Amino acid sequence: MESRKPPPSALVDNHVVPGDVVLDLTEMTNQTIKLGAGLRQDCDTIQATSAGRLRLSKPNKYWVESSQKRYIPSVEDTVLGVVVDTKPDNFLVDIKGPNLAFLPVLAFEGGTRRNIPKFEIGTLIYARVVKANSIMNPELSCMDATGKAAEFGQLKDGYMFDTSTGLSRMLLSSPTCPVLEALGKKLSFEIAVGLNGRVWVNAPSPSNVIVVSNAIIKSESLSGIGQRSMVESLLERLS
Amino acid sequence: MEESRADGRNPNQLRPFSCTRNPLDRAHGSARWAQGDTIVLAAVYGPKPGTRKGENPEKASIEVVWKPMTGQIGKQEKEYEMTLKRTLQSICLLTVHPNTTTSVILQVVGNDGSLLPCAINACCAALVFAGIPLKHLAVAIGCGVLEDGEVILDTNKAEEQQLKSFAHLVFPNSRKSASSKEPNQKEEDSERGLITSITHGVMSEEDYFSCIERGLAASSRISDFMRTTLQKQAPGDV
Repeated sequence: MESRKPPPSALVDNHVVPGDVVLDLTEMTNQTIKLGAGLRQDCDTIQATSAGRLRLSKPNKYWVESSQKRYIPSVEDTVLGVVVDTKPDNFLVDIKGPNLAFLPVLAFEGGTRRNIPKFEIGTLIYARVVKANSIMNPELSCMDATGKAAEFGQLKDGYMFDTSTGLSRMLLSSPTCPVLEALGKKLSFEIAVGLNGRVWVNAPSPSNVIVVSNAIIKSESLSGIGQRSMVESLLERLS
Repeated sequence: MEESRADGRNPNQLRPFSCTRNPLDRAHGSARWAQGDTIVLAAVYGPKPGTRKGENPEKASIEVVWKPMTGQIGKQEKEYEMTLKRTLQSICLLTVHPNTTTSVILQVVGNDGSLLPCAINACCAALVFAGIPLKHLAVAIGCGVLEDGEVILDTNKAEEQQLKSFAHLVFPNSRKSASSKEPNQKEEDSERGLITSITHGVMSEEDYFSCIERGLAASSRISDFMRTTLQKQAPGDV
């Protein structure tokens, strides 16, 4: 007999704070659940460890969606990092986490000992997290899983600013978030969003860079309709 | 007839409180917590790499810095720092980020009594805003015992001059549960327990337990306020 699907937690899509009991395991029989960020198991209960909205990805994956300035590395995240030091084997990269990240000199497409890239201190890198463990420094790579450079590598020119991790996630969500959609209709610009709360913008003229950056920064506390009207008023001022 | 206090409150009434989310731009999390005219600004930095000498590198460590409104740091401030550090250690999950240090810096902006409870509430809010993993929240309340044995809550500076004794109590916040069992309210209250207790002056057992009972009831109101604050300032849904 096929077992009945587990009933979702009553708190899904509600705000939870640390200590809230999200699931009671004594009521579940023979079911598998997956825990994401912001949750922990305490004996027979699953409790929240951070404040935010509880999410459920069917059938059984739970996580707490929260937003903060500090980034905790996670495997397969794409991040914007700043090179802070160069060692013979690694670049040390600041990704706004508890520890500096290692970017091996061979972690580039076609990288060999003969053509190690030359990065100055302060270079902005778009990279992928390949190892993340709380007791080790995270490791980055500028290749995707198939070994191609794809969109990774050094970002030149442009302007990089800090946001919260929640805003970064919103900018990367699909469908395209309203502020980027509205800006894209009128302006031509390049953008890179790191899940660690950094955004890089480049455009042909500096005034466009400033408008795009200000629009993104303002959009965090606005709803979708508010974002579109905010972009329109900014663009009116521009022309 | 219930006698009212000098500022018009009844014995169980708390002063109005407010909390501002992330007023400081450079801190990873910050909170400005006001209870009446007692105001504390708390800032959280970290987790930062490394632990200081004497700390356990297998766990995260917490550093507390207390900055008074006027004057230099003295013995009283050192005691506040130690109390806060122990309280925060008990509510934080220290094993999530080993070999890191989280700094909590408190600036006293206004002091009109019940300063330590206000600071503890500000710290908890700031830790949540910074995304530090916590087992649960903590809510703090100050109780005073008058000469005639009456217990009053959330004392202000003028009242503190006339107290026989006082207690600062820290409780875990009330938790929301998805369990289908309907927990008994009394059973739930006793289960919550007491995190920190600081007493001053001479107090009988009856008075102390009366303080705990009244403080626990009042902490539910602060719990609800804390929960509302954390919810309403979250980024809006797209």
